[in-house]
Amino acid sequence: MLAFRAYSWFLGRRLGLTLLTLWGLASLVFLMIKLMPGDEAQMAAGADASAAQIEAVRERLGLDAPVIMQYLSFLGRLLRGDLGTSIVTLQPVLADLEKVLPSTLELVFIAMLLNLAVAIPAGIVAAYRQGGVFDTTSRITAVMLGGMPAFWLALVLQYVLGSVWRVVPISGQQGYGMNSPVVTGAPTLDALIAGNFAGFFDTLHHIILPAAVLAALFATQIFRTLRAALLGVLRSDFIMAVRAKGATARHMLVRHALPNSLNPVLTLSGAQAGAMIGSAVLVETVFARQGIGAYMFNAVAQKDAFAVLGSVMFIGTVVCLVNLIVDILQLLVDPRIRAAQLGSQGQ
Amino acid sequence: MTAIAQPATSRRKEGFSAFEIFVFSLVIALLAIAVCGPFLAPDSIYNSDIANSLMPPSAANWFGTDDQGRDVFWRLIVGAQTTLLSAFLVVTLYSLIGVTLATVAAAGPRWLDEGLMRITDIGLALPGMIVALGFAAAMGASLRSAIIAMAITGWPITARMLRGIMRQTMEQPFVAGAQVLGVSKWRLMTKHVLPNSLDVLIVKWAGDIGTTVLVLASLSFIGVGAQPPSAEWGATIAAARGYVSTAWWTVVAPGAAVAITSIAFGLLGDIIQVRRDPSLRGN
Repeated sequence: MLAFRAYSWFLGRRLGLTLLTLWGLASLVFLMIKLMPGDEAQMAAGADASAAQIEAVRERLGLDAPVIMQYLSFLGRLLRGDLGTSIVTLQPVLADLEKVLPSTLELVFIAMLLNLAVAIPAGIVAAYRQGGVFDTTSRITAVMLGGMPAFWLALVLQYVLGSVWRVVPISGQQGYGMNSPVVTGAPTLDALIAGNFAGFFDTLHHIILPAAVLAALFATQIFRTLRAALLGVLRSDFIMAVRAKGATARHMLVRHALPNSLNPVLTLSGAQAGAMIGSAVLVETVFARQGIGAYMFNAVAQKDAFAVLGSVMFIGTVVCLVNLIVDILQLLVDPRIRAAQLGSQGQ
Repeated sequence: MTAIAQPATSRRKEGFSAFEIFVFSLVIALLAIAVCGPFLAPDSIYNSDIANSLMPPSAANWFGTDDQGRDVFWRLIVGAQTTLLSAFLVVTLYSLIGVTLATVAAAGPRWLDEGLMRITDIGLALPGMIVALGFAAAMGASLRSAIIAMAITGWPITARMLRGIMRQTMEQPFVAGAQVLGVSKWRLMTKHVLPNSLDVLIVKWAGDIGTTVLVLASLSFIGVGAQPPSAEWGATIAAARGYVSTAWWTVVAPGAAVAITSIAFGLLGDIIQVRRDPSLRGN
């Protein structure tokens, strides 16, 4: 009973923070709209709209009303899912973005798997052999990767692996004629659902490099965090006790040291999931993938102001929701986070 | 009189390692290039010379030439000023915002502190680069817009950290002493608490420059920052993007410049941090 109350306390607080953040985001986007130079109705209607069309848009958006009323009606439109209309695709921005969101989520998911699959073993080995050759080289690599611009790494690897060595496709999400019927919108998943295994491997082949670039940037943080946490744990008394009883190094690391060091890594990877969605804008466009990042990039290039700001609202919202889900998952998975979160506000 | 808190542990004087000297010289070299670069560069880099476009690296053009036939090496040297000056401006501006908000939160009544910290929470929860992108796009894509956008989105971490430290400083005996002497709240905060809390910002500063250089290049690459023909590095990469397969040097060189600058300032930040807190050594 007490636990249930503590849970709902935490959930309520966390949901409250999410709602507050979304409201803050919406207010920022409204501020951006007001900062735009020129006539807002003209911007929303497009460069070659007639005077009558512009007036119709002005009427529909209520732009003659006082700013506070405009703000309220803006919030009202957002609540109804109206992010504005793209002057390029002539579609509601939300409809455009919903179509390409699964592709981004898939990219981020695979990037996260690669990130953890590389950074965690590397962190364990580096911490266990602190100061050794592997430790030194991987620390140098982490520092170098951490300073590289994502889009540049993408361009260089695309050139080397895609056009010089030709081991991966240069761009796109799938090869010509490999399309599976769209069910989820995520290419690999759609290929699996259609039972199209050739298509599945083809889409994986297309996603591997963009996902690896995205993963490389975030893996450096996971590597550093896990290594530092492990170094702390490896110095503690209970590890000496585990060693004294004659446990193998492998048993000591995997069964004792690692579980006690994963906490900061879990927290960090949760925050990274959201940040990766934001960084997708830098990677997707280089590889001509069809995700929310690439949509936003094109909107900037085509000066489609409402599509850009709609994307800001949409990506911000997705990031907030992903963070919320990750926090709740962590609460369910890790007893120590549970204790820390619930213990601090149980009273 | 300004009270200065004594460091908790006395620090051992020690020399610099070869690695530290390397990082210092790298940062000093970058700063020197940023200051002097535009005066040294030949005038020819501002004009296009189509006959010499996309030439590979040679003795005459160390890093080759770009699609306009301009020397890539000298454009990087000139771009260093734009890039570093912008990064300094961004970090200074958001630090000022952060310091102001932290001081108001730490000194103000409970409700103001709560309110400001919830706003900081919102800022921390949002993807900073995406929001900065939105602001820059809304104000009209330009380097100025990108700098303003990054300044108004970059402050939350500074504000959060500094407010925590100021609260700790306010618990120290010398603050109570100053209060007993009847020092005004404003003077207490600006002359006693703030100076004794600021070194966290100094430690953070170098690393912040490194990160800011990266984000600025990213915004320019997306197209909401510096516009061609600016020699800013991100804009240079964006302009050269289409030539990567025919003239790789036009893309590789400016990206390497961003990476070296970002890494150098990041390492400088790490060094300062370890020097201040030797227990971090080896981590």
